[in-house]
Amino acid sequence: MPAAADGLASPLLSARGVARRYGRRVALAPTTVEIHPGDSLALVGPNGAGKSTLLSILAGALEPSEGSVVAADGDSPLRIGWMPQKPAEYVRLSPRENLELFARLERMDDAVAAAGRFLRLLELPDDERLAAQLSAGNQQRLNLAIALLPGPDVLLVDEPTAALDPRQRRRFWEVAAQVLERGGALVFVTQHLEEVEHHATRVLVLRDGRAVFAGTREEYAHAPEADVFA
Amino acid sequence: MNGIRLLIGKDLRVLRRSPALLVALVLYPMLVAVLVGVVVRYANERPRVAFVDLDDLPEKLVVGGQEFDVEGLIGQVNESVELIRLGPEEAGRRLETGEVVAVITVPPGFASDLRGMVETPSLLLRTTRGGISGRVEQQTQALVYNLNRRLQRAYIVSNLAYIDLLRRGGELSFLGTDVEVIGLEESARILEELERQTTDPSTLAELERLRDFVEDAQLALGRSDEALQALANPIALESDTEAGRTWLLSAQIQSYALALTLCFVCMLLAAAAIAAERDENVIGRLVRGLVSLLGLVVVKVALAALVAVALGLSVAVLFTGVAELMDVQGTEPWERLPVLLVGLALAGAAFGAFGVLVGALAREARTAVLVAFLVALPLVLLGLVPESAVGAAAWVSAAFPFAHAVDFFEAALYDVDPWDRLAREAAWLVGLGAVFVSAARLGVRRLLA
Repeated sequence: MPAAADGLASPLLSARGVARRYGRRVALAPTTVEIHPGDSLALVGPNGAGKSTLLSILAGALEPSEGSVVAADGDSPLRIGWMPQKPAEYVRLSPRENLELFARLERMDDAVAAAGRFLRLLELPDDERLAAQLSAGNQQRLNLAIALLPGPDVLLVDEPTAALDPRQRRRFWEVAAQVLERGGALVFVTQHLEEVEHHATRVLVLRDGRAVFAGTREEYAHAPEADVFA
Repeated sequence: MNGIRLLIGKDLRVLRRSPALLVALVLYPMLVAVLVGVVVRYANERPRVAFVDLDDLPEKLVVGGQEFDVEGLIGQVNESVELIRLGPEEAGRRLETGEVVAVITVPPGFASDLRGMVETPSLLLRTTRGGISGRVEQQTQALVYNLNRRLQRAYIVSNLAYIDLLRRGGELSFLGTDVEVIGLEESARILEELERQTTDPSTLAELERLRDFVEDAQLALGRSDEALQALANPIALESDTEAGRTWLLSAQIQSYALALTLCFVCMLLAAAAIAAERDENVIGRLVRGLVSLLGLVVVKVALAALVAVALGLSVAVLFTGVAELMDVQGTEPWERLPVLLVGLALAGAAFGAFGVLVGALAREARTAVLVAFLVALPLVLLGLVPESAVGAAAWVSAAFPFAHAVDFFEAALYDVDPWDRLAREAAWLVGLGAVFVSAARLGVRRLLA
């Protein structure tokens, strides 16, 4: 894990003044954010605030109109896992076929074994059923499994628990905690205050495409201007 | 390349899981191809007819003292059919492959028979079965009728000269010897003179019988003008229906069937496949270092090319199978299949690249399929408009792979010396494919938004 000369961990991932515009509409005004090892950053804000846009830019799935995203230099390239809000998987393939395909695309050594491991980890069905035939919860877990495949240093997840039942939610946070335990970082979009209170170390609040608050969870609790859910 | 290969494999697997869609995509354009073939064949006012001149007809032909402009007569026929001068072997081959619908042959000795006015010379018309052959035969009969009327006039003028000689007398050249013909009028005058000089009753009776005959002959020959006008046509038309390809199996229909099938299948498939990547929200995952946007375009183009090769080969083999089953000549030249495969791949890739561009602009799979269909249909129809009819249509059509694919397939399957044409059309397909790939690479960025 990269570290700064003064002993503080340098950021794993930095977004420097990233912005995204669609014509005249500003989806995300220039925003800067740094993600350090051990961070569990909650992106909070009302619908259309720019949370998913920022997450997609951090993931490299969306090019910013301006600004840049910089990954930490290390012995090996930074591995980023991305779980978009809408499941990103091939609906005409089974969960195993999806996992094997993405494992091969990630150039993993044993794609078949990796697929089996994540099927078991996330309790996904291992049969002929296509992804399109899965429940919303299972589709979301498959979405997460694909994000976890590369063994990410930074896990970016967009409303990960929206379609999950309470047991599956607990399971998700257990899996996310494993990323943090390995010295990685977690960035999650949420609309649930209790998730912020229980799982975030830092909070970034967005409103109308602009960052209106950035601080620790404790600072967030005492910042009335950051209460976008009021 | 690993990512491209993996995604092509994924697309083929998904395609295998939609057999109904695949069958519909194949059968529908095949049906359209046949219907278009019918329209093209019947709407064409100038069907191609081979003209084989085995007698080396001169430009001018003198019959019965009347001069005929042979080139002019052929020009008249060209107004109703497109006459193509060919040698007998090439004409027969093109009739078998359906590139011409009939062959009119001028046999050796035709001109000398015509000049001699003793024997009736024949033109030989060969057609294929069914379809348009009846219409071509009618047009050829009209040509022969026209020729007959002109020849008839020459014959009548010539015959009337003979009759006039019999009636009035004169000199006749026969086998190089000049012969003096006394004529009926002089014969009657001589008989009258003899009657006046003769008193023997029996001789007078015989002379009277002779004079009656001469008068009857003069009367009869005096009406010969009208009688000769009623002469039957001097040229007979012999028809011979060959066991060549029917129009349904012709080179033209097969080329259209291949190009149409590929056009619709590849365009719709590529458009839907690229848009589906966005519908399934996967494109964001892929471009994060797994596959580039250009790589993604290449995946869909390669998919279209692969499907085109498999499908086109099936269609070509199907045509050949049916042709052999029906025991028709001019069956598929199997040795040309490798060349055809190249054309199928190039055409499939070009159609696929255009489909990717359409899919990228449409963004959503169902919309992409509909837009691809709506775009392909008029462009295909433009490719069917004869260049001589609307020049602008040919220009527009040249910027789309359909017409080039048709030309490539025709050349690959049936031309005796196809290489120049193949090279030209292959260059067009490669060029258009490259342009569409470049445009699609730019357009596919829209799918990320």
